[in-house]
Amino acid sequence: MAEVRVEALTKTYGAAKALDDVTLAFPDGGFFGLLGPSGSGKTTLLRAIAGFVTPDRGRVLIGGQPVENVAVEDREIGMVFQSYALFPNMTVAENVAFGLEVRRVPQPDRARRVAEALDLVQLGALAARKPHQLSGGQRQRVAMARAIVTRPRVLLLDEPLSALDKALRVEMQVELKRIQREVGITTIFVTHDQEEALVLSDHIGILKDGRLIRHGPPRQVYNDPQDAFTARFLGEANLLSGTPEGQGLRLADGTLIPGLTRPILALRPEHLTLSATTPETPLRLRARLRQKIFAGAMGTCLLDWQGQTIKATGRDADFAALDEGQEVWIGWAPDRMIALAGD
Amino acid sequence: MTRALNLLGLVWLALVLVFLYAPILVMAAMSLNDSQFYALPFEFSTQWYEKLAENREILAAAWRSIWIACVVTAIATLLGTMAALALNRSAFPGKRLLQALLFPPIAIPWLITGTAMLVFFFGIGLGRGTPAVILGHVALALPYVIVTVTARLASFDPALAEAARSLGARPLTVATRITLPHIAPGVIAGALFAFAVSFDQFVVSYFLSEPGDTTLPVLIYTAIRKGFTPEINAISTLIILVSMAVMLLAARKSNFGGNR
Amino acid sequence: MPTLAQKEGLRAGLMLAPAYLWLTVAVFLPLSAMAFFSFLSDMPLSGADWHLTAANYAEFFSTPTYALLLWKSLKLAALVTALCVLIGFPCAWVLAKTIRGRSREALFLLVILPFWSNSLVRIFSWAIVLRGNGVLDRAVNAVLPWDVDVNLMFSPAAVTIGLVHSYVPYVILTCYLALQAIDDSLIEAARSLGAPRRTILVRLILPLSAPGLIAGAVLVFVPVVGSFMEPRLLGGRTGTYYGTVIEDQFVAVFNWPLGAALSFILLAVVLLVLAAASPALRKAAP
Repeated sequence: MAEVRVEALTKTYGAAKALDDVTLAFPDGGFFGLLGPSGSGKTTLLRAIAGFVTPDRGRVLIGGQPVENVAVEDREIGMVFQSYALFPNMTVAENVAFGLEVRRVPQPDRARRVAEALDLVQLGALAARKPHQLSGGQRQRVAMARAIVTRPRVLLLDEPLSALDKALRVEMQVELKRIQREVGITTIFVTHDQEEALVLSDHIGILKDGRLIRHGPPRQVYNDPQDAFTARFLGEANLLSGTPEGQGLRLADGTLIPGLTRPILALRPEHLTLSATTPETPLRLRARLRQKIFAGAMGTCLLDWQGQTIKATGRDADFAALDEGQEVWIGWAPDRMIALAGD
Repeated sequence: MTRALNLLGLVWLALVLVFLYAPILVMAAMSLNDSQFYALPFEFSTQWYEKLAENREILAAAWRSIWIACVVTAIATLLGTMAALALNRSAFPGKRLLQALLFPPIAIPWLITGTAMLVFFFGIGLGRGTPAVILGHVALALPYVIVTVTARLASFDPALAEAARSLGARPLTVATRITLPHIAPGVIAGALFAFAVSFDQFVVSYFLSEPGDTTLPVLIYTAIRKGFTPEINAISTLIILVSMAVMLLAARKSNFGGNR
Repeated sequence: MPTLAQKEGLRAGLMLAPAYLWLTVAVFLPLSAMAFFSFLSDMPLSGADWHLTAANYAEFFSTPTYALLLWKSLKLAALVTALCVLIGFPCAWVLAKTIRGRSREALFLLVILPFWSNSLVRIFSWAIVLRGNGVLDRAVNAVLPWDVDVNLMFSPAAVTIGLVHSYVPYVILTCYLALQAIDDSLIEAARSLGAPRRTILVRLILPLSAPGLIAGAVLVFVPVVGSFMEPRLLGGRTGTYYGTVIEDQFVAVFNWPLGAALSFILLAVVLLVLAAASPALRKAAP
């Protein structure tokens, strides 16, 4: 168990800055999620901590010690790769035992620890199978067992669930959280799926173009994004810009939103209500319902307002009375407004 | 229309195959013909193979060729595999140059390479003889080994090596327990190519071997120029069979033009 | 304390060194040595007084024989290459596009196998077939009603046949690889757009397979220009080519400096050809 810290980490590939002066502390024993779109540098950051990427500037510290001159194999990390990278010529048990073999752990101990790890991931019965005989979810769990059996100081997960189908992914998210809680290793994982990041993380970090935009506990980052990118990326907020006027914000269609002094109003789709009748509050917008999307229990409405698309989500029953092409009113509660500064 | 063209194509292919194999089959047939002067009618006889078994000169040359090929295979496979592993890293300064340097031994006519070796080895005091031949053969075989192993390495998932390292394995362990098992077919194919290159080598052996102490192909050549006996036929048939068998094995292992 | 990157670089260097050291000693240094030797008047080892001179090269230009023989070799190489391509490309096409499944791999192997067997022995087998009273003679006489003496041995034709036989599998190989890489869906798209067969061949297939074709042609042309074994065995007295003259300098006449100079002129020609074809070669390389 160790705390991990990166300081002023910079890495450039040709003309592109993969990491741009990133400083971040990963709390000991916590589950830290790195979230960002493709090319945001999250994988580069993970691999820099692992040692596969040497930064141009900055330091990586594991357990308080700088590790620039420490080779990957000596950093005592555990890593789960996106493709799982299970050794095809070895059985499940041999795969999991590999790290212990390398550390010269004697046989009876080795067998016991392998069995424990496989039990932890609930794969004890498949110890003699080869990777190609396993399903995607099973391979993922073997990869986890192999990474944690050596009791590493840090566990690094590179998009560990991206190769699984939806239902399995949700199931594995719960599993992953459970395993991490039981074992208590400092865990850093990378994903581009914001929902997954919210579910798994104790602490979340948002990266864009190699820079760390925002970090903090998930609820805090979600409710208080503090910048337009985070608001959009985490929760797909609708961003409405306007001109500050006195104690309010004048929007493009003339609506005055009282109490808002910053130029951008962010509203989350799940906080919007749609109605055909005019709401009593001043917190309302007139828009045209362009498209109703049915997705089972929940539904999404796409509305046209001032040349911009506004997204509203809710239960399908909530939108039942409204038709596509209809002019509707969008309303929201005052405590659901998020005020953001301009770029 | 299409069917006719397809048929034509198949006929063409068949004709070419006949062209490729006819002389070999004729030679094999003649080696089993009783007549010393290739006179027909055909009378089956194994006398030439029997005479071959007693021909000390030919047997000595055959043995020398095999021995040299084994040594060359061992050296070339070891050196070539190491080089291929080192070249497998993603772009580093000089990689292009190193890859380009593998071409000359294959692309330059062996006449030039062979005579150059002769001249240089004399210059440094090595002269001709078996060490010189081995020196030359390994140089010719190396590019083939490197190319074959590299091709197999291309299908090796780098994440596997990274996973092993993340589990604490040192480079040597990664190479022996993770990389090598995967590339083994490529290494074996490379070794077989090296054997074939050395065993069948004529031009370079011709310039570098000592008269009287020659390899089999060189012996055959000089015997042909003097006027051949059918024992040459017999040994030639045997050689063809051996080299085709070796290449068949190599092709199976490296999976020519197909994928695993 | 060396950094990680330095340590890794050192390790890679150590793994590369033996192979490339070997190549340097056995190939690159000898080639350089030969360049040096080509400027000598006499071999330094024979005890004779030697000095640097360009006389060897001058001899190439002053004596028309050498240039003529080089030209003869170039023509032979061009002919053999052309025949190999004409014979081999259709074969490669049939293998790549017409035949499917397991038989394709088997047939391909069948075609390639002779190429990998001993080239000397294959030439020898042609000597048996082509000689007077040989199998070919008998076969032709058996078919034709009148007496014909078919003795192709010791003629340029024999040399050509032997060389084509030796190298056509190579062209089939490179063309096959190039053709196989052409996605079937490209041809299907062209057909769905209404293109006739000839257009597909000329405007789609030939350009796409050109790199492989050129690579194969060049790698036939180059060795044939320097060949001496095939001309000697199959050509007899008419089998004097540039390669045989070079061979003579080393094993008969023992005029090594002249041989070195002639070799280098050949090398220059070869490098020119390779350089001219290098864009195609680079595209064809895996």
